[in-house]
Amino acid sequence: MAGLKDDAQWIVLMGFVVSFSLFFIAIVLNQSTVIGQTTAEAVLEFPKNDIRGVRDVIIQSEFLKVNNIRDVNNISNVQNDIRTLSLSRQNSVVNISSTQPTISNPYTTVDIHYNNGVMIYNEIWRSK
Amino acid sequence: MMGKNNRVSCTSGVSESIGFLLIFTIVIAGIGLVTLYGYPMLLKQQTSADEQIMEKNMIVLQNDVKSLAYKTIPYKETSLRIGGGVLTVYNSTYTPASSSIKIYDQNNIIYENSFQSGELRYSSDSAGTDISLQNGAVVMRRHVEPGSVMLAEPRWFYDSQTNTMVINLVNITSTGMMAKMGVGTVQMELGETQFLKTDTPPLTAEVYLEYTPDPVQDYSIAWNNYFQKTLGMTLISGTPGNGAMLKYQLPPTNTLVIKQYEVNIRSL
Repeated sequence: MAGLKDDAQWIVLMGFVVSFSLFFIAIVLNQSTVIGQTTAEAVLEFPKNDIRGVRDVIIQSEFLKVNNIRDVNNISNVQNDIRTLSLSRQNSVVNISSTQPTISNPYTTVDIHYNNGVMIYNEIWRSK
Repeated sequence: MMGKNNRVSCTSGVSESIGFLLIFTIVIAGIGLVTLYGYPMLLKQQTSADEQIMEKNMIVLQNDVKSLAYKTIPYKETSLRIGGGVLTVYNSTYTPASSSIKIYDQNNIIYENSFQSGELRYSSDSAGTDISLQNGAVVMRRHVEPGSVMLAEPRWFYDSQTNTMVINLVNITSTGMMAKMGVGTVQMELGETQFLKTDTPPLTAEVYLEYTPDPVQDYSIAWNNYFQKTLGMTLISGTPGNGAMLKYQLPPTNTLVIKQYEVNIRSL
C-alpha cells in the first residue's frame, strides 16, 4: 500500500453526514403531512360573532315593552324566533330563560345557553 | 545480526488485490441490500405518504362541505393532488347507495324516509384502502378487512340541556359520474337546504334511526361507533359490520332538528 494517500478520507465522512441528514429530513417530511390542519380549523370554528349577535338580540328582546309594561307575548314570540333562526341559519341550539326583578332582587337576569356542536357557551347576564 | 530481508514491515502481507476484492464485495453487497430491501421500503413509504396525503385532502374537502353547509358560503374550490388512486363522485341517486338513513318515532311518524347521502370516494389501488366523504363525515376502510374507522366526524350533536338532537344530512349531487387522478380541482356549491324542527308538545315518543349500509362498501362499524359513543344512541337491533340494517334509539329528545344540505359537485 505504498504511496497510497489518505487525504481524501473526508469524502467518505461527508458521504455519511449527507446520507444521515437526508434520512432525518425524510422522517421530518413524513411527519409533516398531517400536521397543520386541525389548528387552523379550530380557529375558524370559533363562533365569536354568532354568539355576540345572538346574545345582543336576546338581551334586547327581554326589554320589549308596550305602554311601559313588559310585553310578555311579544317577548316569547321574538325569543322563539331567535331559537328557530339560530337553528336554521347558524346550526346552533339556543335556550333562553329569564327572571324578572323583584323587590328583594331588583335585577333582570337572563340565562343564555348556546351550543353549536363544537362549543357550548353559557352566560348568566344580569342588568346593572 | 538481523538482515535487511528479515525486517518485518508494517505493510508486509497486505495484498492490494485482496483489499480491492474486499472493498468490491462490500460495495456489491451494499447495492444488493438497497435494491432488495431499500427499494420496496421506499415504494411502501410512497404509498403510505399518498394515503396520508389523501386522508388530509378528504378532511380539507370535508371542511369545504362544512363551510358550504354551516356557514352558508355558496361556492368552494380546492385544488389537490390525488396520488396512487382515483377520486370518484357517487351522487345520491347512484345505486347501491353508500348508506340509507330513516328517522321515525314510536308512533310511526316518519321524519326522514330513506335518505341517501351519496359520497366522494378515494379508492387507493396501491394501499388497498377506501376513504369516503359521506354525510359530512370522513370514513376509511381496508379492502380486505371488515372494519372501518371514522377519521373526521360529521356535525351532528345532542344538546343535553335542552334535549335537542340536531341531525345534519349532507346530500352530494352531481350531473353524472366523475372521477379524477393526478392534480385536480374540486368545485362544489350549495344547493337546496331543508330544515325540519319538531317539538310538538314535548315529543316524549321514542325516536328511532335506521342506518342501512351498502353491503359491499360497508362503513357501519365506523358509524356505529359514532352513533353510540359520540351521540349516545343505543343499538336496538342489528350487528355492525355484516352489511345489514342497524336500528338505534335516540337519547331522550324533546326537539328533533333534521337539516338537509344539498352539495353539488360541479367538477373534479
